[in-house]
Amino acid sequence: MAGVVGSGYSYEQVFALAPRPTLPDDLVATLRPVTLATGRRLALGAPWDALVPAGALRRGSTISVQAPPGWGGLSVALSLVSEASARGHWVGVVGVDGPGVVAIADLGLDLRRVLFVPRPRGAWAEVAADLLDGVDLLVLRPPSRASLLAARRLTDRARERSTVLVVLGEARGSWPLPTDLTFLVTGARWHASSRLDERHLNVRVTGRGAAQRGADHVVVLPDGQGRAAAG
Amino acid sequence: MERLLAVWVPVLGDESPDGSTLRTYLTLLDALVVLCPFTEPVRLGLYALPVRGPSRFFGGEAAVLDAAATTVHDVTGLESRLGVADGLFCAELAARRAVVVPRGATDAFRRAQSLDVLGRKDLATTCRRLGLHTVGAFADLDAARVAERFDGHALHLHQVARGEASELSGQRDARLPARLAHLRGETVVLGEQRGFFGQRGAGDDRAEAAAHRVRRRLGADAIVVASLHGGRGPEDRATLVPWGSPEALRDDAPWPGQLRAPLPATTLAHPVAVELRGADGKAVRVSARGLLSATPVVAVLSRTRREVVWFAGPWPIVERWWAAARRRAHLQVVLDTGQAALLVAESGRWWLTGIYD
Repeated sequence: MAGVVGSGYSYEQVFALAPRPTLPDDLVATLRPVTLATGRRLALGAPWDALVPAGALRRGSTISVQAPPGWGGLSVALSLVSEASARGHWVGVVGVDGPGVVAIADLGLDLRRVLFVPRPRGAWAEVAADLLDGVDLLVLRPPSRASLLAARRLTDRARERSTVLVVLGEARGSWPLPTDLTFLVTGARWHASSRLDERHLNVRVTGRGAAQRGADHVVVLPDGQGRAAAG
Repeated sequence: MERLLAVWVPVLGDESPDGSTLRTYLTLLDALVVLCPFTEPVRLGLYALPVRGPSRFFGGEAAVLDAAATTVHDVTGLESRLGVADGLFCAELAARRAVVVPRGATDAFRRAQSLDVLGRKDLATTCRRLGLHTVGAFADLDAARVAERFDGHALHLHQVARGEASELSGQRDARLPARLAHLRGETVVLGEQRGFFGQRGAGDDRAEAAAHRVRRRLGADAIVVASLHGGRGPEDRATLVPWGSPEALRDDAPWPGQLRAPLPATTLAHPVAVELRGADGKAVRVSARGLLSATPVVAVLSRTRREVVWFAGPWPIVERWWAAARRRAHLQVVLDTGQAALLVAESGRWWLTGIYD
């Protein structure tokens, strides 16, 4: 067989001429396409996986969560990263002062791999950039309207580092750049018996490409166990 | 005090600007960690490791000393000095003299040292004029007399001299662990899979390096990690500790009377005072029997009035009634804006403690 290579054939030609073997179906079902880190996706838990294209978070993408104060914006943002956190990815939380740790654990995040910077003071953009290097998902609440320059830098850094950036804002336009996905909370109603039981949120999901058409959904967050559920 | 082996490599004490010292220090640290997993980087040129465990493993302190000296020589080719004593302060002194202080003799060893080892000139001079020449003589002074004459740092030195503190405050380089991790973070090949069943992976190292950068930028307490433990209110059940501090113990004991999910996603570290008023405008209170004096209608939070559209509770908690009793009552309220909040009544006032954000 050494003569094959020596007489002008290359391995590519040998492979090109050989008939492609047919694989058994049960083996084909287990094969995965080769994906690089930038194309990889991070898992998204129920009910969010039904609301976004491909049912997962694309690494390197930017997501914006907008809700009026006290309408569950923080819960939505943390719930979006909870499944990935439970599967062993690192999460950074910047600018959330006084995080409700028990509620965060109830949402399904693994606290051993969550880094909090509650009060980044004036350096929130720098801190976010630092953490984008090291974590897989970053939840960021800018203290005020983010400048265009800072927003562009962080978006680029997230893309470069294949980190998912979740930006939490109170109103439209708090993040000056278009994002890959936007979760807009348009309504919040509490259901209560002898105590608060669950909150029903109206969430409008819009995005680029396949998710361009906005759609309204009802999400229960938090439910009786403090988790997110389909409405 | 723990019996420590101090490994002093004098050449590594002077840092060269090209960073080679730090790299050699890190290489040697990794080699010594193989010897004993609890090896600590104290500062450039100095390591400390607890000697009790390894001496049982290697068969005696002498065997550990041999192993450590061989390691230093094989890895770096540098000369080292070893010393064994109780506590970091005495262990370093022992290493400088290359002696092993026998068990129980550390006190005498420390007391016999000259006052210069405490590293403060004015204190040494003053004491010498008073006829005190050794650490022991200084230790015998009354702490109140030391406090009268000197500052707080001298009091700390006095504690070290008496053996109440095991190490000098300046003995450790607080920035060294961060620098070493930074050095490690830089050399880590991204995406390399090293983790397996609870071991550390490349992702953990990356996160650690990022945390170090934040800590350098904002200070040690800026980046925190959370842990859960027992307690009744959500504000008791969580602690936020600076990243890098020792892990808190988990407490999975049952806590009857615990507030159940859903819990507020924002818990205020410093609760804010809130006024609750009834329909007649009077403040709402919780009676000794755990009942509200009136139905709350209005909540006033820093001069902002909000109508209370729904409330549940109060759920009174009396804790530590056998000692310093702590009486509290939790109340859930929904405001006209659609926001829900968790209030707690304590010492006659209402406090906003959580927001269901």
